Amino acid sequence: MNTPFNALNEMIRLASPFPESVAVKDWKASGGKVIGWVNPYVPEEIIYAAGMLPFQVSGNNEPVQMQGAEAYILSNTCSYIRTCWQLQLDGQYGFLDGLVSSSMCDQDKRLYSVWEYYKKLPYMDILYAPRKRDEAAVQLYLADIEDFRDRLSLYGMRRIPQPDLADAIRVYNRGRELMSRLYELRKRDRPPVTGAEALEVSKAAARLPRDRFNELMEQLLDEIKRTGREIKKSRRVMVIGNDLHNATQIEALESLDAVVVVDEMNCGIRYAWGQVETQMPPMEALARYYILGRPVDMHTWNSDGRLEFIGEMTQQYKVDGIVSEIVRFCTYNGWDKFDLKKQMDKRGIPILEIDLEYGHPAGAQVEIRAEAFMEMLESRAS
Amino acid sequence: MGTDNLITPEGLAARLKMAAEAMRKKPGVMKSTAGYMELLNKYVGRIITAKEHGKFVVTHGTQQPLEIYEAMDIVGVFNEFWGVISDVVMVESVPEALSISASTGTPNEVCSFFRNMDGLMHVGKWPHTDMFVYATSSCDNVKAFHTLGRRYGIPDFGLERPYYPFTPRAMEHWRNEHKRLIAFLEEKTGKKLDYDRLKETVRLSYRLTEVALEIDDLVAHVPTPMSAECFGGVLLALRLMCGTQEAVDFLESLKAELEERIANGVAAVNLERFRVIWSSFTPFWDTGLMGFMQQKYGAVSVTEVLQLWRGQANWILDPDDPLGNLAYRTQLAPGNCQYSPSIDWAGQVVEQARKFKADGAIFNNNWGCKQAAGLSSIVRDELLRHCNVPTLTLNVDVIDATFTSRAEVEAQMDGFFEMIESSKAYKERRNLK
Repeated sequence: MNTPFNALNEMIRLASPFPESVAVKDWKASGGKVIGWVNPYVPEEIIYAAGMLPFQVSGNNEPVQMQGAEAYILSNTCSYIRTCWQLQLDGQYGFLDGLVSSSMCDQDKRLYSVWEYYKKLPYMDILYAPRKRDEAAVQLYLADIEDFRDRLSLYGMRRIPQPDLADAIRVYNRGRELMSRLYELRKRDRPPVTGAEALEVSKAAARLPRDRFNELMEQLLDEIKRTGREIKKSRRVMVIGNDLHNATQIEALESLDAVVVVDEMNCGIRYAWGQVETQMPPMEALARYYILGRPVDMHTWNSDGRLEFIGEMTQQYKVDGIVSEIVRFCTYNGWDKFDLKKQMDKRGIPILEIDLEYGHPAGAQVEIRAEAFMEMLESRAS
Repeated sequence: MGTDNLITPEGLAARLKMAAEAMRKKPGVMKSTAGYMELLNKYVGRIITAKEHGKFVVTHGTQQPLEIYEAMDIVGVFNEFWGVISDVVMVESVPEALSISASTGTPNEVCSFFRNMDGLMHVGKWPHTDMFVYATSSCDNVKAFHTLGRRYGIPDFGLERPYYPFTPRAMEHWRNEHKRLIAFLEEKTGKKLDYDRLKETVRLSYRLTEVALEIDDLVAHVPTPMSAECFGGVLLALRLMCGTQEAVDFLESLKAELEERIANGVAAVNLERFRVIWSSFTPFWDTGLMGFMQQKYGAVSVTEVLQLWRGQANWILDPDDPLGNLAYRTQLAPGNCQYSPSIDWAGQVVEQARKFKADGAIFNNNWGCKQAAGLSSIVRDELLRHCNVPTLTLNVDVIDATFTSRAEVEAQMDGFFEMIESSKAYKERRNLK
């Protein structure tokens, strides 16, 4: 049994209960506004600079019973989207003052439309998430986020000033730097944290006021240094595919003789990746970071870079095997499956493909397949 | 996994030729139906003979400026409608192609328009393709073009369209994307675009739009003169052959026939009981379904979303700016509201329902389409709120006939039309007690 970290416990405490957590209640109690964001093409820095709390709309560690969502969003939509809407129907997101999304995928934009039509919030906005990674895409996105800044300023009745944007970039850069350090530590032969713990850290980053998160993150890194904690497992696993917010899914893998050392999720390594340039005008710097500054993701048309990135991470983190978790009805991941498998075969990295419902715990079937996969990794190693 | 029924381009052409001949002889069908089959045959024929005529072939997605292809002597293959055309003459092909696609690891939850292409390419039965071109403005599945391009060594180009399409900035960006497309095509073909030829194909395309809108007005007539067997002709002419004289000729002849039918009091059915709007797409997977509805329920199909032009579709904004006009045309083009916010789509459908005096809407929820799955409720509720038009949602696969049985659909339609007939709104609309 590994000793728990005080800083991580505090992150979890502040982010609980989900979603209207201690941190959210405190924020609202002080008269602050909370703006939900749905996917990684929403620049949180702008919301933060407006003096509002950015909060990622998602599910959490418990599965959500669909009791009405499918009357609005049909069941051939991914369960992540339906989960978010069900939580809204259940009144769980009643604390949101606004919602910002992007057209990153068909389902994200439809969730936005349904929310706007049936439960319009005081502030609502949607951005375009370019599918290309070039200068034209940067300019297109820049124009969109400039509009977003204008509209949010109007809503907040205060023009978001450049220095506040620069400060927000500094705070978020610091958060990314600290999260990246944690990822670096996971490259060790015996990483200091489990994959499930790392996921809780990423979730906290998306749900707590970022400056508070940064303080706790510094404490966590300090605790890791002081305690010299090591996770002693034989197999090193990478999780790829859709965002997971249910840490019990990772825990199920790690209940075997394996530890998740890296991921390829938007809410994981991409969320911690890189830095926004601080030597150029803040809005342009944000546009460049959000379009070009992070690893290629599944929504980019040319996903060659995504496949290369996954391969590169398997080497850097000395991964024995990949668990590919795809939420059913995810079009993007569906189209990458064939070539991903081929490319990882070339690299000699085995993949376990798991189709799952977002938020649901790993069932017996998944556990049996995961066990067989670990045994296969074991026999390869020997 | 069978492959006996997989259709080749040559097989498709042969069957379309037979279908045209059969339609010419069949009593009681609109005579334009034969012309419709012939148009499809010409389309497929151009693809088959492209290589021998030294032409390049582009397999493309929706919202494409086909006028540019025509002006550059490039032959287009619209990936989505390849499955639609094969369903017209050989419904057994698509399920086999889909099972081949599944065998490559492609999940069955992605759109079967694309899985059909995936499967046929895997076994070498897709038309020879030199390039892939696609746009944001259909759906996430267009990623398949790059994926398959990577797999088969086919270069690809995507046109990126902002989420809100009609702002000046969005229009400028979209126009520039067309410029980039031309540069891509010129590089790959080694040919320069002749702007005089482009003006001509744009002229033909605009004429096609005008005739399509005139046909809309005729179809809106009560009772409608458009019979089910010819209903798909307008859509396919617009989506496959715009910028060609052949498409204009076909729609002109269809229009003349509809005018004649109205003048002679000939309607799709003797007793028109229900007017139906297809609020997502028509039943491509079961091309006989609309005819069946006419016969069993007296339910005529009067309009559908994929062939809807926005407003009056006056897309020639500046005669000296063919690219700007085309960029605008592809925004206004039928079906483009799919990519827009759901409320925009719903607004278009409401307008359509009013214009065509619809009694009921049928929303085909395509298993692989996430756009539709997320907007159906808004379309349904807006139709009911603004026009008192109820919606039947059918869970289907857009081109796979094996996904849903006719019996299942029939059972749902029995209840739906019975419900409409007993509704107050229907009785008021028809002045019934």
